[in-house]
Amino acid sequence: MTQAPAQRPTWSRGVQLYVCAVAVVAVVAVVISIVKPPHSWERDQWVAFGVLLALGLVSVAVREPDVGSKVTFSFLSIIVISSVVLTGPAGSAIIGGLSMALERGRRPLIARLFNASMFALQGLVGGLVYVGLQGPIAEDVKTISGAGELLLRVGVPLIIADVAQMLVNAVLLAGVVRLSTGMPFRRFITQIVSSSGPAYIGYGVIGFLLIVLWLPADVGPFSAVLILAPLYVARWAFVQFGEEQRAHERTLSALVTAVETKDPNAAGHSGRIATLAEWMARPLSMGAQDVQSLRYAAMLHDVGKVGVPTRILRRPRELTSADLEALTHHSALGVVLVREIDFLRGSLDGIRHHHERWDGLGYPDGLVGDEIPLVSRVIAVADAFDALTTDRAERPAATPMEALRQVEQRRGRQFDPQVVAALGTVLERHEWPVTTFDEETLERMRGYLDHDDPVAWERVWTPPQQSPLDVGPTEVDPLPRRAPAAGAPVGIPTETPVGEQVRAP
Amino acid sequence: MTAVRPALRDLPSRLRLHRLLPVLSVAVAVGAVAAAVAGAPLPLTDWWILAVFAAFIAVGEVNRIVLPGGRETAPMSLAAGYALAMTYEVGDEHQVAFGAGVVIAATSVGMLAGAVPALLRRSPVRADDLAARFLSVAVVALLFRHLEVWNGEPLLTLQDDWLNYRWVTAVSMVLVSGIALLVQAFCVALAIASRDHRPFWRSLADEVRQGAGLGAALAASGTLIALAERPMGIVALPVFLVPLVLTQFAIRRFAGVRETYGQTIRALSRLTEIGGYTRRDHPARVAALSVAMGRDLGMSDRDTLDLEYAALLHDIGQVALREPIPGGATMMAAPADQDRIARDGAGIVRQTGVLDHVAVILESQAKPYRQVRELGEDLPLASRIIKVANAYDDLIGEARARRARKHASAIERIHLGLGYEYDPRVVEALIRVLDRRAAVVDGG
Repeated sequence: MTQAPAQRPTWSRGVQLYVCAVAVVAVVAVVISIVKPPHSWERDQWVAFGVLLALGLVSVAVREPDVGSKVTFSFLSIIVISSVVLTGPAGSAIIGGLSMALERGRRPLIARLFNASMFALQGLVGGLVYVGLQGPIAEDVKTISGAGELLLRVGVPLIIADVAQMLVNAVLLAGVVRLSTGMPFRRFITQIVSSSGPAYIGYGVIGFLLIVLWLPADVGPFSAVLILAPLYVARWAFVQFGEEQRAHERTLSALVTAVETKDPNAAGHSGRIATLAEWMARPLSMGAQDVQSLRYAAMLHDVGKVGVPTRILRRPRELTSADLEALTHHSALGVVLVREIDFLRGSLDGIRHHHERWDGLGYPDGLVGDEIPLVSRVIAVADAFDALTTDRAERPAATPMEALRQVEQRRGRQFDPQVVAALGTVLERHEWPVTTFDEETLERMRGYLDHDDPVAWERVWTPPQQSPLDVGPTEVDPLPRRAPAAGAPVGIPTETPVGEQVRAP
Repeated sequence: MTAVRPALRDLPSRLRLHRLLPVLSVAVAVGAVAAAVAGAPLPLTDWWILAVFAAFIAVGEVNRIVLPGGRETAPMSLAAGYALAMTYEVGDEHQVAFGAGVVIAATSVGMLAGAVPALLRRSPVRADDLAARFLSVAVVALLFRHLEVWNGEPLLTLQDDWLNYRWVTAVSMVLVSGIALLVQAFCVALAIASRDHRPFWRSLADEVRQGAGLGAALAASGTLIALAERPMGIVALPVFLVPLVLTQFAIRRFAGVRETYGQTIRALSRLTEIGGYTRRDHPARVAALSVAMGRDLGMSDRDTLDLEYAALLHDIGQVALREPIPGGATMMAAPADQDRIARDGAGIVRQTGVLDHVAVILESQAKPYRQVRELGEDLPLASRIIKVANAYDDLIGEARARRARKHASAIERIHLGLGYEYDPRVVEALIRVLDRRAAVVDGG
């Protein structure tokens, strides 16, 4: 959230000095505001102060770790903005500062000091802005009634004070981040304002509701319970959401695991190409949504292999051409398997077409060039590259540079030249680990045919007609060519009959 | 777990309580309208207030949400209804003149209007859930406006005595809302017991536990609106619904990811089908049967979800087999093989790191019941259920024709393994579930 930098900064000397300076400013400002308060405190204000401070301490204590659901609440921010009106600027500063200073857990002293100073300053600045805009404080609010009056005289100044608090938060944090990571000041501020701006407006609105209930409606401290209950439930639901989402991700990977149980020689392949494909998305400037679809499609591109008989997967070199054709069904079968999962809708085409070729000689549909979804073109390249850099019994793994060269040889025929270029760019930036196995495993793998290996391509799939461009690899081909299949392979059925066809007799 | 006497257990179903709830609601609504018409005429301001509330109730009904677990509710509609039922002063110096009859009549108008879009789309409206919501608003209206709690005065007018202690009013409002929510949970639990043949107390416990969070938010929101109406006027209604809208949004996201999760599990369950290991839809059928049996045996919602996932995935261990078992029927496989499939399946599921409960169920799914009796081993109820449901589905095969005879012989074979292979209590549940299905088929 916004009160602490996301990445733990290194507490260098510069940062330490900076934090101390912020702390001194905060303490001096708070002391001045206490010594010279704009209002004298009455009993109700003391009560409000006590209750809000207790709430602040509780809210900091129950704060749960960020679950990555993007939506998080800072109850403390709501309390700090409300206490501006309920107790005045000094009260707000003390509540914010003390809550953070007494936070439970083992936060380093300097982080604690910084958070406390930052919240104190937020409370103070917010309070001064509110008072400066003639906003009424404590008992004075009770004299106002009517929705319009309340909104105009309390709501509007409060929202402006709220924005001021957000700016204080952003500026102080940007200082720490600038000193510790060197990230430009302005960029961090824009980033934090755009990410937590709406949340801050929300805190202001909720704070306004709390004040209306507390003062004009005369409910007093119990209002806090009433306002915070729905929010607490909302936060609970968001936490559940985050946990469930994580559980879902893990389960999704079980789909991949299931394939790997069946085809152990391909273990780890899906995960590797998902990583590689995600890297390649950047130089291809794909949008966030597309990258998501790409990642899932890459993870699950071979999931249809479960529909291919195990003997074919494990010993394809001994097989007839009809058996090998069964292997080519896996891309369409994968779609049948996952098409009812709503959020994978965007990945289905990517899975179906990941064995299409740029020159139109691929399967299952023989699409040409741009007709092939970009997601599939990326997976095709990543797929082949990973296959080449993986140890096999018949040949050692190629080095990344050698594999890149082999992929580049096939650009414009098997692969989209633009995507191959992206692979080159990616390999300049990232280290690609070659997948190796020990002798024993390799021996066990003998006879395995990796259908993704571009060299094996011609063995797995004979296109309906030979492309004039298609010259088979020569120097690296250790495989005996298979005799042309009797008659061209027919199209792959895609609808329900697929399930029927591959079922055991 | 003790066996509930069947006669008492089936009472909600035999009385068809889930059909009775809507009838009761209609009766209450008609009575309320009659009372409203017979009462004194209302000032124009009151008509406005009622119209705004009815509109928000309708909007809330249109924006119903499905809770994780499949139940439907309409938080905004309920909060607005509760607030209307507790409305007293709106703006400065205006006290509303209406009683519970008018409140209930307005609520029924709002709720019916909110159901219209669904009816126009021909999507089903869950009449029993709607009735439960309506009745709970009626309870708030009656308790708050007419129940004499002190010196012959209801809570509504007692507020005037407590002007210096407004928080007492707030607490009383929260309490009344809490009672109404319990009444609602009671109605919904009755409807579920009647419709799904679940033990009533189990349904009520689930309802209360799952509804507690949202219920707290609802009770607080209704109270907030009713209290804020005095300084803010009717604007308080939309403004103070804001925290609840956020809650609703969060719960919707949660329910959404739960739904997606279910879809992924279903896809996983079809791995074996597409791999040619099991017959078409076998996991889905076993899951449906298992869930019905689990409900019948009074499993909690949480456990039922684990049971459903485990039943969907019960054959996933077959993926590791080199050659499919004929017809995919694990029941016909040798016991050692069955056990290995069960362990492989549990292994695959365990690798997710998040489905450990399911893995435990899968591990024991092939173990015969005698291990409980002879070795004192503790087999999870879910595993025993899946074992029986799987055996039944394997035995009945794909025969469409001669279904009755197949069914009879399947039950007979399961009976042969009673006590040795299968848990007798679970088999009884199977027979009850199948009898009910047959009754539905014969009846309709």
